[in-house]
Amino acid sequence: MLALRLTRAARPAVQLRRLLVAAASGGTGFLLLGALGYALGHPQTPGAAVLRLAWCLVPLAATVYFALAVARTDPGTRPRPGLSAVGLGPARLMAISALTTALSATLGSMLALLVFLHLRGDLTGMPFDGAAAQFLAADQPLPLPAALTLLTLVPVIASTTVAFALRPRDPRPPAKATRAFGRFGAYGHSAQRETFGAYGRFGARWRTAAGRKGTTPEPPPEVTDPRVTDSGDAGSVGAGSRGIASRVTGSGVIDSRATGPGITGPGITGPRLTNPSTTNPRLTNPEAPEQDADQADTPTHLPPPREAPVGLPWGIATIAAGLAVQAYAGRTTPAPDLTDLPVEAFTVLVGWVLTALGLVLASPGLTHLCGRLLQAVRPGALRLLAGRVLMGEATRIGRPLGVVCAVASATYAMTALYDGPTPTFGPLTTLGALVVTGSTVATLLTAATEARQCRADTTAALLRLGAPGSMLRSAAALRAAALLAVFGPLTLVIANLAALPMAH
Amino acid sequence: MEAPPDNDVMWARSLHFTHRDGSPGLAGVSLEVRQSEILAVSGPRGSGKTTLLRCLSGLVKAQQGEVWFNSAPMHTLGPMARERLRRDRFCWIDPAPVLVPELNVWENAALPLMLRGTSRRRAKVAALEWLERLDVGDRARRRPHELRQAERQRVCIARALAPGPTILFADEPTAPLHRADRAHVLRTLTTAARSHGITVVLATHDSETAALADRAVSLLDGRRVKTVHLPESPETEGRAACSLSV
Repeated sequence: MLALRLTRAARPAVQLRRLLVAAASGGTGFLLLGALGYALGHPQTPGAAVLRLAWCLVPLAATVYFALAVARTDPGTRPRPGLSAVGLGPARLMAISALTTALSATLGSMLALLVFLHLRGDLTGMPFDGAAAQFLAADQPLPLPAALTLLTLVPVIASTTVAFALRPRDPRPPAKATRAFGRFGAYGHSAQRETFGAYGRFGARWRTAAGRKGTTPEPPPEVTDPRVTDSGDAGSVGAGSRGIASRVTGSGVIDSRATGPGITGPGITGPRLTNPSTTNPRLTNPEAPEQDADQADTPTHLPPPREAPVGLPWGIATIAAGLAVQAYAGRTTPAPDLTDLPVEAFTVLVGWVLTALGLVLASPGLTHLCGRLLQAVRPGALRLLAGRVLMGEATRIGRPLGVVCAVASATYAMTALYDGPTPTFGPLTTLGALVVTGSTVATLLTAATEARQCRADTTAALLRLGAPGSMLRSAAALRAAALLAVFGPLTLVIANLAALPMAH
Repeated sequence: MEAPPDNDVMWARSLHFTHRDGSPGLAGVSLEVRQSEILAVSGPRGSGKTTLLRCLSGLVKAQQGEVWFNSAPMHTLGPMARERLRRDRFCWIDPAPVLVPELNVWENAALPLMLRGTSRRRAKVAALEWLERLDVGDRARRRPHELRQAERQRVCIARALAPGPTILFADEPTAPLHRADRAHVLRTLTTAARSHGITVVLATHDSETAALADRAVSLLDGRRVKTVHLPESPETEGRAACSLSV
C-alpha cells in the first residue's frame, strides 16, 4: 500500500520513467507472446520457435537493465533519515522499489496481453482484416497458463534484479594491500629479497610511492613520525631516497622492500606486516560495519571516489574475440545474417554477444580516458570540471554507453551496411529493435540523470560560489561532445568490421 | 533618502523575506556593513541569520527592502547580474564544507579564481599561498575525501579567501567542528580577513564566536534586536506543566 502511495505522489519526470519501463515491458511481453503464437502455429518446427524465444532474451535483458536504472534513480526510494526512524529502513525501501518495478512491469505485461488478445480477435472481432491472424495463430485456442507464465517473466526478473541490486549492504572494508604469495603459492608473507640490482631497477621506487599512497592513504598524525610523513606525503619519484633515509631513522632497520608501506614508526606496524585478520575490521571488530554504516550517514564522511575502471584491456580483447567469431561465421557462403532465423545465425549471435560484452567492459575505461584527455593540458575551470566529473562518473555513464554503442553498431551493420538481398523486417523484428534501442537509450539518459542527482549538492555549492550556470551547462555539453567524438567513430568502426566478412 | 556613510560597503534597509512555503524569514531588517570590519550576525537557530546572508549576498531576492553594495542598488539587479557580482565581489562559506570531490585540494581552492578568468598558473600560486597560510598546505595534492572535516573547512575558507573578495559571507563556518578545531578555524579566518582588509559577515549562534567580531548584530525571529535575552520564566515549566496527565 505504501508503495502505491509513494508511486502515486511523484513528479511527472519520474512517472514518465515508470511509464517507459511499462512500455518496454509491454513490448517485451508482446514479443514473448509472439514467440508463443509462432510455436502454436508451427508445431512441426520446434527449433525455430526456440530460436525465436531465444531472440526475446535481448529485449528482455534491455528491459530489465532499464528497469534497474529507473529504480536506482527513483527519488521515492531514496534513503530518508526521517522515515528510517519510523521503520522505513533500507530493507523496506528495497522492497518498495522492487514492488514499484513489479507494478510498472506488470502494467506493461497486461497491456501486452490485451493487445495480443485484441490482435488475435479473442476480445472483439478480428482487427485489420485478419492481417495478424497468421503469425499469431488466431485459429488455435490460446493456452492461458503458457501466456501468463511468459508474461510474468518480465515483472519477476525485473523486480528480483532490482531487489538484488538495491539490497542493503554494509560498506566494504578497506581494500587490503596487494596479496603477496609466498614460496610455492603459500599464504605466508615472506620478505621480498633484494636481489642484485633490484634497488636501482627502473620503476622500483615508483611502486614504493604508489603502494604507500594506495595502502595507507592517511597515517594517523599523532602516532606517525613527522620525519617520515613529509617524505610519505610527497609520494613522488624524487622522494625515494629521502624516504629510505627517513625509514632508517624511524625504525632503525634498513627496510628496503620495494612494495612495503614503509612509513611506519618504531612501534607501529604497517598493514603489510601484520596478520591480514587484524587489518580487516570485520574480523577483529564485529561492530565495525555498523560503525561504517553510521559513518556513511554522517555528513562528515565523504565516500572515496571510484577508482579508474580497469576493464579496458579485457574489453578490447573481448571485442576482438567477438569480431573474430563473426568473421569465422562469415567464411561460409552465403553469409548468414542476423535477420535470418536459421541455426547458422547462432555463430553470428555469439559473435555479437561477445562484441557487446567487450564494449560494455571497455567503455568505462574509454569514458575515463575521455575525461582524462579533456582535463589534460593546463585546464581552466571549464575543462577541469568537465573532465574530472567525467572521470568520476566513468563507470556509471560508461556501461550504458557501451550497451548503446553495441546496439547502435549492430543496427547499423544490419541495416545500412548489409548488401545482400534486401532483408525484410517483419513487425515483430521492428518491435524488438525498437524495444532494445529505446530501452538502452533511455537507460543511458537515466544514468545521466542519476549522476546529476548524485552531484546535486556539489552543483548547488558551485552555484553559491558564483559559478555561472551557463558554464556548468557548457561543461555538460563538452562532456557529451567528447563522448560522442569517441564513441561515434567507435560505433562505425565496429559496425564496419562486423560487416566486413559479409562484403567479401 | 539619506545618503549612507562613505565607509559603508553594504547596507540593507527594511528587508522582508518570506519563504516559499509561507514561513516567515525576515521582518524588516536594516543593517550596514562597514569597510573591512568583521560583523557578526548572531541569534538563536531559526532567527533568520542564513536568510539575511542569502539576501545580502544576492543568492535570493528579498520581497521588500533595499540592498546597496558600494552605493549601487543590488535589489534591482537581475539574476545574471547578481551572479556576476557574487562571482567577482563576494565569497561564501557554507556551514559544512562542500568541496568538489573530483578535484584535489588546490584545484578546489583555485576554482573561484579560475571561474573569474584568472590564468591557471596564477590561480594555483594564490591558492597554494592561502592553503599554506591556513595550515593545509601539505594536503594540497590530496583529494577532499582524504582530509578531516576541520581541514576540509579550512580548505573552504582558503577557497573563499583566495580571490580576495570584497565581502566574505560566512554562514556558521564552525558549526560542525569541535571546540579546538573551531577556535583554530575562526582564528585563521579572522586573522586573514583583518590582515587583508576583507569585510566579513559572520553568522553565528555562538556568543564566543560573536565575541571575535568587531561588531555584532542580533537577530530574533527575523527582527533586529538589541538583546536576545528572552524573558526568564519565573519557574521552570517542568514535568508538571508539560505533562498531559495532569
